[in-house]
Amino acid sequence: MNAPMISYTYSSYLAIAVVAALDSVFGGITSVINKNFDLKIFATGFFGNAILAILLTILGQRLNVDIYLAAIVVFVGRMFVNLAIIRRYFVDKWSRKFEKIKNSRTKKEQTAETKVEEN
Amino acid sequence: MQNKKVVAIVLGVMCFALTAGICIQIRTVQATNSSVSNNYEENNLRAEVLRYKERYDNKVEDLANAEEELEKERESATKNDTALKEKEEDILEGNKIIGLTEVTGPGVIVTLSDSKKDASSSLDPSSLLVHDTDVLSVINELKNAGAEAISINDQRIIPTTGIICGGNIIDINGEKVGAPFEIKAIGLPEQLAALDRPGGYLELLRSYSVEANLEKSNNITIPKYTGTITYEYAKAIED
Repeated sequence: MNAPMISYTYSSYLAIAVVAALDSVFGGITSVINKNFDLKIFATGFFGNAILAILLTILGQRLNVDIYLAAIVVFVGRMFVNLAIIRRYFVDKWSRKFEKIKNSRTKKEQTAETKVEEN
Repeated sequence: MQNKKVVAIVLGVMCFALTAGICIQIRTVQATNSSVSNNYEENNLRAEVLRYKERYDNKVEDLANAEEELEKERESATKNDTALKEKEEDILEGNKIIGLTEVTGPGVIVTLSDSKKDASSSLDPSSLLVHDTDVLSVINELKNAGAEAISINDQRIIPTTGIICGGNIIDINGEKVGAPFEIKAIGLPEQLAALDRPGGYLELLRSYSVEANLEKSNNITIPKYTGTITYEYAKAIED
């Protein structure tokens, strides 16, 4: 991996920004599923949340309070909720698909049986 | 059409930003060992040390068993032959001198333990501890007084024994030995007890408030040396 490195002092800020951005991504996928996706909201949330999280972390370090813990709890909690919604959507989709295949198969068998009876 | 382009560009920039952030973060964390991974590594090392220690103990036990067997074999082989019996006695005598047999007899027991004084009460806290040089000096004086067999905390002193400082412990025969040190010596007790004379080394140690005691005893047992002795370079000159 040839990625550049940053000083360890700033890596906690970058980490919280990455978590915020990931949360936005999952939120975006959920909104696509719910059919209320808006690019403006998504983009501003993506960068805005990341920057806000970094600022909160800096503030927390100035005040000697681990505010980044609160940010992580909120972001990761939301991530899990969004992931649950996404999972439900896909499970529903697939189970419907399987049912369709099953139905078509039984229909085919029925038609085959009727054909046999006719013969 | 224009709208689609904007969407693609914005999403592309966001994807790039996210992957770049993740890559940089992973690289940074990998380069600087975090405390979590450090702890993990330490635990692994500790487990490995324990495994090796167990293996070492097993080997020592095997060695002891093998030596016992050897002894038995030798005994049964030399039972009916006087010439061989003499040789056997020579071997036993030699083993006694180089420390390969357990020996018992009269002698003294010297105990050296670190001072109970608080370290902050002394200008030089290091002088409150028993050092390798202290142990070495005591051993030297005991040898000078005619000690025939010496052990420190059950580590037999043999001709090739080294006594080295190893941090907060001292290293004897390659084994780690910690304070308090119980030095047993077999010899004429009255002669060995001269170590405790006025102006002697024990009194010097006591002046540093190190606890040093000497006790005469008529029945001291000193264990044998458990390691192996290898002479690679020294060759006997044959006449």
